[in-house]
Amino acid sequence: MTNETATTPSGQPLGISHKPSATEAMFTKFKAENRPAFIGYLPYGFPNPDVSLDALRTMVEHGVDAVEIGLPYSDPVMDGPVIQAASQLALNNGESINGVFKAVETVANAGGVPLVMSYWNLVFHYGVERFARDFENAGGAGLITPDLIPDEAGEWIEASDRHGLDRIFLVSPDSSDKRLEIVAKNTRGFVYAASRMGVTGERDTLSTSPEQLVQRTRQAGAENVCVGIGVSTAEQASKVGAYADGVIVGSALVHTLLADDNVTARDTAEGLKLLAAKTEELAQGVRDAR
Amino acid sequence: MSVLDELVAGAVEDAAAREALVPLAELKEQAAKAPAPLDAKRWLKRADGIPVIAEIKRASPSKGHLSDIPDPAGLAREYEAGGASAISCLTEGRRFLGSLDDFDKVKAAVKIPVLRKDFIVNDYQVWEARAHGADFILLIVAALDDATLKHLLDLAHELKMTVLVETHTREEIERAERAGAKVIGINARNLKDLKVDVNKYLELAADLPADVIKVAESGVFGAVELTDYARAGADAVLVGEGVATADDHTLAVERLVKAGAQVKASETTPLSEHDGPYFGQYGGRYVPEALIHALDELETVYNEAKADPEFHKELARLQKQYVGRQSPLTEAPRFAKLIEERVGISPRVFLKREDLNHTGAHKINHALGQALLVKRMGKTRVIAETGAGQHGVATATVCAMLGLKCRVYMGQIDARRQALNVARMRMLGAEVVEVTTGDRILKDAINEALRDWVTNVATTHYLLGTVCGPHPYPSMVRDFQKVIGEEIKEQLNDWYHIDHPDAVCACVGGGSNAIGAMNAFLDDERVNLYGYEAGGHGPESGEHAVRFAPGTGQLGMFQGAKSYLLETDEGQTKDTYSISAGLDYASVGPEHAWLHDIGRVTYDYATDEEAMNAFRDLSQTEGIIPAIESAHAVAGSFKAAADLKAKGYEHPVIVINISGRGDKDMATAGKWFGYLTDEQSAALEVTGARGTEVA
Repeated sequence: MTNETATTPSGQPLGISHKPSATEAMFTKFKAENRPAFIGYLPYGFPNPDVSLDALRTMVEHGVDAVEIGLPYSDPVMDGPVIQAASQLALNNGESINGVFKAVETVANAGGVPLVMSYWNLVFHYGVERFARDFENAGGAGLITPDLIPDEAGEWIEASDRHGLDRIFLVSPDSSDKRLEIVAKNTRGFVYAASRMGVTGERDTLSTSPEQLVQRTRQAGAENVCVGIGVSTAEQASKVGAYADGVIVGSALVHTLLADDNVTARDTAEGLKLLAAKTEELAQGVRDAR
Repeated sequence: MSVLDELVAGAVEDAAAREALVPLAELKEQAAKAPAPLDAKRWLKRADGIPVIAEIKRASPSKGHLSDIPDPAGLAREYEAGGASAISCLTEGRRFLGSLDDFDKVKAAVKIPVLRKDFIVNDYQVWEARAHGADFILLIVAALDDATLKHLLDLAHELKMTVLVETHTREEIERAERAGAKVIGINARNLKDLKVDVNKYLELAADLPADVIKVAESGVFGAVELTDYARAGADAVLVGEGVATADDHTLAVERLVKAGAQVKASETTPLSEHDGPYFGQYGGRYVPEALIHALDELETVYNEAKADPEFHKELARLQKQYVGRQSPLTEAPRFAKLIEERVGISPRVFLKREDLNHTGAHKINHALGQALLVKRMGKTRVIAETGAGQHGVATATVCAMLGLKCRVYMGQIDARRQALNVARMRMLGAEVVEVTTGDRILKDAINEALRDWVTNVATTHYLLGTVCGPHPYPSMVRDFQKVIGEEIKEQLNDWYHIDHPDAVCACVGGGSNAIGAMNAFLDDERVNLYGYEAGGHGPESGEHAVRFAPGTGQLGMFQGAKSYLLETDEGQTKDTYSISAGLDYASVGPEHAWLHDIGRVTYDYATDEEAMNAFRDLSQTEGIIPAIESAHAVAGSFKAAADLKAKGYEHPVIVINISGRGDKDMATAGKWFGYLTDEQSAALEVTGARGTEVA
């Protein structure tokens, strides 16, 4: 049942927002400059809520264009060991979904495009409409939903329409043309193309399949296609940035804030320094792509 | 003057101005020449969907300007392409900025019925609608007295038009009914906050005769409201702003039509034949896109197999020759006596002996079925998760038999509790991976299996061990398990000359053995069905795996399906606890969630202590040692007996599904009852082979 309906100040239900997409505006600008976007991922609350805000700001200041702020989840089935460990640390250190809007503001204030990546149950439990409202109010641009396919997204499509938020769905190398069409049709902002079959994590080599997937997704009607999963070096970022509208990096950035045991947090000052350096290295790779 | 009065007065004035140009007599001649109206009623109710009346709407008094709509005909065609069943065209010009000119264009553009929506209060307006080819008009009860309402309704019906009669209150609905309305529009928005109020809808729509078509008329914006209304029993919906202002009008209508079809498909009967993806509001596919291809493939192959007699022949052969089916149905008179002593009712109790299957549990039923599908799909590798180890053993077994590569994920805590099963799986050639992430129990094993599957989906089948997960697993696993209930029915008849059981009891973790035992009886109201969850230390303790008791589970998406879920205030999965690894799971199969909500199955729980007492009771009265999981059903049978007694039964026939045998649990039981010294217990725990650790 509808648990909450958004209303206008006069008490009328909100209509379709028609607010221009912040993400699409970014891609339009970059296309004119013939450059791909650099999208960096970091879980909110990692290694703890305060430091995570500094880390998000650091990423934007050192060259990330849009930030994918992850919401830590107890059962992250699309994530590999690095992000699992980071999420667990965040949860242990008191991460709460209420705080993520602060992170969204932080990114927006630093000049980045704030995106949130969340497993669906967290948003569902918070209340889809309520999340959309709070996210919009915080200056959020869009939501990446790794375990929500458009077919199940009725409530989110409605809420995102009312609040003018981007809906970023995923495609994977074995998605059929029909699936690509469904995703492209329901997406707003960009399509997230997984570079390969599998969970998040750093990889030494990238296969050639992402390029084909980007092509196929564009043919299916997507305006903007970004590639993520497995991109961890400047060289890979360059390679991907040559054909994709954006390069998404997660684990490699997260890694800088993890200690060598891959379980605990690194010393904060040192971690942020490494994060800044890694961000710059990757940003350079993205800039050199074309 | 109310807004409605003002709108009516304006509409009457405008109609009078038109009448001065075209008198009624001329209008009647035009009406005679107009093409015959389409019978809109035939478009407004269907078994497999919720018809959508999409509205051409530029503005409204409450929301002001909405959309310019320079080309109403084009918009109507877009609605039609999206699957709209009818078009509503506003012709009121003052506040809604509509016109009869719009109407003519729309009517000419589409093949579906078109509704003239205006403030119609006199004959002229009705004739005018018909003269313009309207199939369908709106009458607003609040704007009409009884006599006029009846008169206009009769006139419209004489002209073969359908009338949508708009109501807001119970009293207006009664007036509409008395006047002979066949299609009633119900406005169930809460006038205070303008939210769709489903309870108000239910209250208003209650007692309406079945032949009256109920149209939810207000506040439908998108899939959310449509779903709410559809679940509350609306036959059709009228949507304005949500489609008129959408960027893609066709897609907006399409989404609504799909949402309606989904609701209808989710509630089909008979219950025993109901298939996913949706069971009521539960089920679905909440998984990464990367798995959709594999799930589609699995569904296709499974549907082909289901229709292939050779597949059933091969499955039946293996069930008989390899598994040892049928499993017996054993009468338990000494245990029945125990129920009599404790509850004061004298039942006949029968045990369905899934414990006597090869590998000692019901899990072999679906493991075998899925393994045959793996062969059919041409895949070579199988992964599985396991809690108690029974599903892992069953999977390892069928993989050995069919020559498939097998890897089983098991939470570290479970692996320690069930060390002997770990050894069994290894003996059978499977690789056992001990999962050390998360809570290190069943759910974490499933997460790890899902990660493996996402990575290796081209060659690998995920042999899921219960009726949870994304579609088609809940339907498919149930189909492979329903043999349990079918045999119960047959054996009661053939062996004991009993027509039907009065009760079936089963334990519910994910719910595979329970649904298997119950499926054959879901549509037989004479059979009371009882499911028992793992009560652990009791729901209040926070250490349990009870999803259905008040204050425990909430709605959520978990590991692929929407169902009841034990979760924190933040939506994080809660730690669960039970003495039985096989019931220690945070969610429950979506079909069970549905059967719970519609009241077909009574769900209750048995605590660790109750289950262990029952474990001993059955062992010592019948010489049958059940799995601790099954012991929850045995413990539950006392509660079921009490319930049956309260319902007036004196000699009920109770069937308990003994889903597995208890040999694997002897270390736990020995410790629990003090048959083993601490030293011996400790020694048993370390005998367990350690798995390959996964970070």
